[in-house]
Amino acid sequence: MPEWVEPVARYILTDGLPGTLRVSAIAVLGSAIIGVVLGTLMTIRFLPSQAAIRFYVEVFRGLPILVTVFVVYLGLPSLSPSLEFGPLTAASVALVLWGSAQVAEATRGAVQSIPNEQHEAASALGFGWIGRHRSVILPQALRRLLPPFVGLLVNIIQNSTLAQVIGGVELLQAGKSQSERLTFFPPAGIGEIHAFEIFTGVMILFFLISFPLTRLAAVLEKRLIV
Amino acid sequence: MLLVTYDLWAFVSENWRELLDGLVNTLKASAIAIVGSLVIGVVLGASRAHRLPVVSQLTAVYVEIIRNTPILVQIFLFFFALPQAGILLDQFTVAWLSVMIWGGAFNSENFRAGFEAVPLRYREAGYALGFGPLGTFMNVTLPIGGRISLPSSINTYISVVKNTSLMYVIGYEELTTTAINISNLSLETLESLTVLAVVYLALVWGLSAGIRVLESRLALPETR
Repeated sequence: MPEWVEPVARYILTDGLPGTLRVSAIAVLGSAIIGVVLGTLMTIRFLPSQAAIRFYVEVFRGLPILVTVFVVYLGLPSLSPSLEFGPLTAASVALVLWGSAQVAEATRGAVQSIPNEQHEAASALGFGWIGRHRSVILPQALRRLLPPFVGLLVNIIQNSTLAQVIGGVELLQAGKSQSERLTFFPPAGIGEIHAFEIFTGVMILFFLISFPLTRLAAVLEKRLIV
Repeated sequence: MLLVTYDLWAFVSENWRELLDGLVNTLKASAIAIVGSLVIGVVLGASRAHRLPVVSQLTAVYVEIIRNTPILVQIFLFFFALPQAGILLDQFTVAWLSVMIWGGAFNSENFRAGFEAVPLRYREAGYALGFGPLGTFMNVTLPIGGRISLPSSINTYISVVKNTSLMYVIGYEELTTTAINISNLSLETLESLTVLAVVYLALVWGLSAGIRVLESRLALPETR
């Protein structure tokens, strides 16, 4: 293997990969929690709250995620200096806004697919609205949500590359900065272009992470139908 | 002390020419990519549904690679890595080509599902009427299966339009690049983000509303 490969690969794995994992972890957790709560609230027949959540869902599903990233990274600080985030955090927040909208819509569908008898039986057992949803409805609905949830995880991992656009160091940015560095003349670089090998390597890394997950989502979906 | 002034009207009246050019460039790249991904989707989707040897396996590899890697990395590969192999593509070409290849992969899955949903007895009826394999596909499988895959394929086109915003990274002057460049110069960040959000939401919401009308018109008679 050529001499330049080892330091480049080491930088991508030790500095890039943690960024990708951090953004993805925050985005997945935030999307799941906010999305399930909003989706469940959307099933309550109260027009103002339904309309407000519907608007939130349609806006953040409708906007290109990159525009949401710019809104969080460039827009919020000009509203208030306390809302200034670093690139990785800003990307995480934008992905939570998008992901929670996706989860809310899926949760609404899953909760509404639970038959009314389940609600009635839980009420007959003395559960209130919160207890009924926490102990009876959501455990069943969340099982139906599992396959789309794995799909969301794949989407979030791939979209974490958007942090690169605003300068966050994740896999893609790590690869880009290394490929630029190699083009410098010695001693900074080696004066060679290896963009093709490096970006192909980054692509393979993403494939190795995503492919098992998409297969898992397909298996879960099949098992659920039967 | 941060002085925030917000004057959307002044911003639009000053910059509407550039913004309109940006929108036109977004629509140009989207239109080429949508037509291209429709053709790719129908041809490769048919090859998968009818298990054409070699072509269907290659399609499966293409679909899995595109679906399991970030589109931003694909764009980087086209724009920053291909020149190393002697292939120098300009911004506009990378813009429509990368979203077309991305949309084509998703569309092949959409159309595969649609074509596979056409009952075998319909195709047998086509053969019985004297159509060859191509005739049966054009007259039976495509009209019926195409309508089944219509909603999911149009969702792919909406994603194609949204993904053209990623061309910001290669500096293609579409809507997002134009608006962000203006805001970097004039510091009218909130105004330019407002314009971006409103135009994209109008595009996306308008498309999905149009789809619902089209969907009910093109629905198969028995589901109407």
